[in-house]
Amino acid sequence: MKKLLISVLLTALTVSLLSGCGSSQSKDAVEKYGSATLKLYNWGEYMGENLISGFEEEFGVNVIIEYYDSNEMMYTKLQSGESYDVLVPSDYMIERLISDDSLLELDKTKIPNMSNLDAAVLDLAFDPDNTYSVPYFWGNVGIVYNKNNVDLADLESEGFAIMKDTKYAGKIYMYDSERDSFMIALKSLGYSCNTEDEQQINAAYEWLVELNTTMDPVYVTDEVLDYMIGGGKDLAIVYSGDASYILDENEDMGFYVPDEGTNIWCDSMVIPKNAENPLLAYEFINYVLSYDASLDNTETVGYASPNAQVLADVTAEDGIYADNEAYLPRMNYALDEVFKDNLTLKQKLAELWIKVKASN
Amino acid sequence: MKQFRKMTYPYIIWITIMIVVPMLLIVLYAFTRKGNEVTTFLFTLENFKKFFSDTIFLEVLWRSLRVAIETTIVCILIGYPAAYYISKSQEEVKMRWVLLITIPTWINMLVRTYAWIGILQDDGIINSLLGLAGIGPVTMLHTDFAVVLGMVYNFIPFMILQIYTSLTKMDHSLIEAASDLGANKFESFLRVTLPLSLPGIISGITLVFLPAVSSFFIPKLLGGGQYVLIGTVIESQFLTSGDWNFGSAISLIMAVIIMLSMYLTRKVDRGEQSETGVL
Repeated sequence: MKKLLISVLLTALTVSLLSGCGSSQSKDAVEKYGSATLKLYNWGEYMGENLISGFEEEFGVNVIIEYYDSNEMMYTKLQSGESYDVLVPSDYMIERLISDDSLLELDKTKIPNMSNLDAAVLDLAFDPDNTYSVPYFWGNVGIVYNKNNVDLADLESEGFAIMKDTKYAGKIYMYDSERDSFMIALKSLGYSCNTEDEQQINAAYEWLVELNTTMDPVYVTDEVLDYMIGGGKDLAIVYSGDASYILDENEDMGFYVPDEGTNIWCDSMVIPKNAENPLLAYEFINYVLSYDASLDNTETVGYASPNAQVLADVTAEDGIYADNEAYLPRMNYALDEVFKDNLTLKQKLAELWIKVKASN
Repeated sequence: MKQFRKMTYPYIIWITIMIVVPMLLIVLYAFTRKGNEVTTFLFTLENFKKFFSDTIFLEVLWRSLRVAIETTIVCILIGYPAAYYISKSQEEVKMRWVLLITIPTWINMLVRTYAWIGILQDDGIINSLLGLAGIGPVTMLHTDFAVVLGMVYNFIPFMILQIYTSLTKMDHSLIEAASDLGANKFESFLRVTLPLSLPGIISGITLVFLPAVSSFFIPKLLGGGQYVLIGTVIESQFLTSGDWNFGSAISLIMAVIIMLSMYLTRKVDRGEQSETGVL
């Protein structure tokens, strides 16, 4: 028994010594950045397989990751006083964080890889000149449909209103988010998705209530990926990046973005003012923008890369997304809009949204 | 004895920080709204008015209570015979049954609920089996049935264990006495066993009804989101619309309803006890 104990202790000692050797590298990191730990707060299932391990190895640091599944959840956590080094919020949330004065103005000399970015994702309305944010992934919202059961002609003539076509009742997934659902309704009615007009919002509310009562929809969020890959239903509102993943996994599925316009979004990396380790945060952002890391990200996750070279390579004829109609978001289309941050509007929509879902 | 009382201090400190302070914060939030720069809180009853003046919120409240009551009833109907059977079995068999009932609770509730999605799906286990028998896929996921099933599945161990405990504590000579006095098996169950196990049923009801009425992820996952319950509304107030004040007000309303129902069940319990005392 004693022998066993001793050997266990010896092993433990050796392991701790070995890891001690490893930490000489992290000592360098401490000297260079002030700390060897980066706190990252990102969306779930939103990173390349080797993104974190690659960064940790290259810079001899340790990354602590936490995940969120909505911008609001991230914002709530941030407001409770939690500190992170890098966040990846969406456009409108960045707008709010900027107006809250909680983001660091970026020192772009520390992010030389910013030159790799595609012009299409730079200088977007929520952060002109990219003073505070660096694009991470971008995309739009469209309809994933089962090519065997849905007539493309119906999609082309009805657009988002196909979600109200009783021919497909009981066969649709709606996305359980007030902004995306109201966006669909407003676009289908021909309004802007950032409208504050009472009448237009009410019309959209009625549109959604009618959908809820006549179509027997199922409201889902991330589960939609599994459900549509399994061919659960015929129509689903899906983000383009998720759609490209579904299309890869199930050949029967197609992706359609209606002509009446949709929402273009961009999730970007930011450094909050209360970050404990901004120097390492810059290093991480720069690392994500490198060709290899961007490629790893987009290949694993399926969302459109902001890296111009990667974007060109994966959509080129022999690229892995060459035949994927969902991967590359529609660019420069006048009716496609980015969400603007409007807290009162959002609260109002959230309240209406609960009422829509409870209306049966 | 007095020295031992000191041992409760950690518990008292714990309960103050973790339960009393948050409860007070909820009350504070419920009766206020976001103020301006000078005063952080403005006293208001607006949040309550908003809740009670909107039929949709009341409908959601009613639906939540209904689902919770249905769940509780099903739990009693399945749980009582199960507990009765277990309490009548032999000692080592008993332990095995209790273990079987507790094992699922070692796994996280969320994971267990996700598993039901795979079981109930249109191309899930049950439907594949039905398909083999030539019965077309029956839609089970995202229905009322799935929600109640998920809740019963998750909460029934609490019911069974409570009833089981009260049944095993029972003095068996009472039943013998009943049959000596000429009662048949059914009568002695109805007049002796059932009343004596009532405290177990009542604490079982409390343990099933409370989580059922406030659950939000079971209706979300198994009900497909269109099944809005009061827990969902509270969650969305905090996480999506960011209206902590209104969210707190709904939580407070729920807390009052729950406390009232607990008070009432206790009263029933006491009434029954004094009755059996007379017996």
